[in-house]
Amino acid sequence: MKLPILPTTMVGSYSMPGWLERLKTEYFARRISRHELDEIHDTVVKAAIKDQEVAGLDIVTDGELRRDNMIDYFIERLPGIQIDRGSKKFYYDFYDSEVIGKIPMASLGLVNDFKFLLANTDRETKICITGPHSLTKRVRNKYYPSEEALATDIARVLNMELKELVKAGAKYIQIDEPYYSGFPEDISWGVGVLNVLVEGVDAKTAVHICYGNRYGKPSWEGSYRYLFPKILDAKVNQLTLEFARRGGEDMDLFQEFKVPFEIGVGVIDVKDQTIETPDIVAERIRKALKILPPEKVFVLPDCGLFHLQRDVAFGKLRSMVEGTKLVRKELGQ
Amino acid sequence: MQVASAPDRNGRIYLEDFQSFRSSIVWQFNRLYWQRLKDWEQTSGKGYQKALPGGMSDGHQPEAISDSVDEFWNLLKDLEKKNQLPPEFFLLEIGVGTGIRAGLWLDRFREVDLERGSNFYHRLRFLLGDYSLATLERCRPAVKNHIDLCSFIAVDALDPIRTLSFLRHKILHVHSTNMYDNLQDEEIVWRDNRIYWLEFRAYIPAEDAAQISRISGVPISDITKTIGRLLDVGPECLADRHRGNLFWQEVWKAIRMEERLVRVEDLPDLSFPAGLSLAQLEDILRGAPDDLRLHLSSGALESFRNTLPLLHPRGYLQVQDIFVTDLSEYNMGFHGPGKLDGSIVNWVNGALLREVAERAGYDIHFVPFKYRQGSKTSALYTTQRE
Repeated sequence: MKLPILPTTMVGSYSMPGWLERLKTEYFARRISRHELDEIHDTVVKAAIKDQEVAGLDIVTDGELRRDNMIDYFIERLPGIQIDRGSKKFYYDFYDSEVIGKIPMASLGLVNDFKFLLANTDRETKICITGPHSLTKRVRNKYYPSEEALATDIARVLNMELKELVKAGAKYIQIDEPYYSGFPEDISWGVGVLNVLVEGVDAKTAVHICYGNRYGKPSWEGSYRYLFPKILDAKVNQLTLEFARRGGEDMDLFQEFKVPFEIGVGVIDVKDQTIETPDIVAERIRKALKILPPEKVFVLPDCGLFHLQRDVAFGKLRSMVEGTKLVRKELGQ
Repeated sequence: MQVASAPDRNGRIYLEDFQSFRSSIVWQFNRLYWQRLKDWEQTSGKGYQKALPGGMSDGHQPEAISDSVDEFWNLLKDLEKKNQLPPEFFLLEIGVGTGIRAGLWLDRFREVDLERGSNFYHRLRFLLGDYSLATLERCRPAVKNHIDLCSFIAVDALDPIRTLSFLRHKILHVHSTNMYDNLQDEEIVWRDNRIYWLEFRAYIPAEDAAQISRISGVPISDITKTIGRLLDVGPECLADRHRGNLFWQEVWKAIRMEERLVRVEDLPDLSFPAGLSLAQLEDILRGAPDDLRLHLSSGALESFRNTLPLLHPRGYLQVQDIFVTDLSEYNMGFHGPGKLDGSIVNWVNGALLREVAERAGYDIHFVPFKYRQGSKTSALYTTQRE
């Protein structure tokens, strides 16, 4: 399927309804069964896909609604990581977890999620995973000599998973590494580990780096300058960054450094419940196009829509698509 | 408002129908007090600070201010070390009162900055927020030595983000002293695994009505009408302003509340403060002792929720107030509402705030106020929840 110029997609997650939060917490309180929760997840994922289609996105995700948060979904699947299952009071809390031995190679079972997505849409699809640097930052390391060593082994396991996803038909894969922004001093080894993760993965790979979106608020502030020049060594196809909330100042970095990547430009502020107008979205895209060639630009929200109310999330996606259309028209598309 | 002009058979002159506490007429009195504080003080012969338990605001304790300055300075230093120092450092005080605390805080910060050679002082942007323009005007002299760093902003304490949305995620420190305890509130009862809503109606006992009449010269039959005028125009409700002030003070002294319990299921239009739903409240109360009467602290919750989005990722909120930090404390004594001079004072349900904060991504901690012996005040601090 050929994508239009300025393809539109989500960063990954879609609005988490309040009632689903309650049901997830009910599951942790053993008041509903795993089977019931799986059925609920299937239903909400279908609804999230439908919303993206109706909004007009070119590439859709499963909305990540099966995930409690961006960490635990992976941590509980990674073999060799011990989890205190009683440590969660609310489903969104992080588990307490620790590594006490070498992480063995094993499947994480993400292929089933992807197949479900594929079976429920005829649009292009994208699967998103949390990257090894971010996962490492949330696990107590009691075995490896360094965080880098732990992250490298996590990357190896995830690399095998990505290859399985490609076999299942995945063409667009996004790796989320928001913790880079919290620990800019790690960027050097972080990029090395990222390259282990994507080695031999025959798909378009993107790395998403934001300033955090936990509880719908930023976890850090600063400038993307810390990424450069090290990020230029990353063997990914695309960098996906937040620009809507933070303004476009960091866009100048793409003039200063010759970036080999496509850029996923965040044009929707996910930390504000106000729905942007298509004109505002168009203006943000135009700003990016002053520096980047249109064929290298993807259009996305700043981050996941997890914390927005559904009607707001949907409205924002619609505006994003409409705003993109305005610019495409100006480009003669 | 369905009011009576004469006492009923129980000897009570009702000023309103039964309703939710936050809608009660007593909050109009509270508002009038802050708007016409000078009038009240002149008539009562004492400043509002004298009416406080320690005779001065806990916000003015020099040691508390010094510690607060140190804490903020350490945060700046840490951000500087990590190369994450923003160009300007925004601070917000909500409910500035006389402005004395802000002035003392800025004095102390300047001293510390000079002593340590950090050069932070001139990058401070101190926002003094209050809903009363008169208060904002009155507090200017207290910060006159730092006036270039100060902005005076009319802020609704219940919804600071509405006025200050341009500072979303930018404010490094928000402070308030004894503000939550003076915000509109509701009370509920948890009994037999059910939630009951408390409804109130204000009244004046007949014997007090006679006293009001005697002192102010307003006939008993005109008391309710005159109260309406008082709340509209202030002590000028009577031709003689001094008598108007006396009327106000006597009425406030006399007001009592009658209450009733209503099952929450019988109030379909009931709305909960943002960040809290009936289902959540039931979850929270499931582990609480039975037969518990507690504050919903709706005003404090609203204010809290609408302040958090202003905080910088490393920013923190500090609230000095009277908190109930564990629900079981409600069974150990009376926690308001009460009358403090011309205003209302209420303990704040810190335990509930803690639950709501967790869902919003913050942990909150309570530290006893150690700067005044016998103080019932605690300081609430937020920290980012991982």
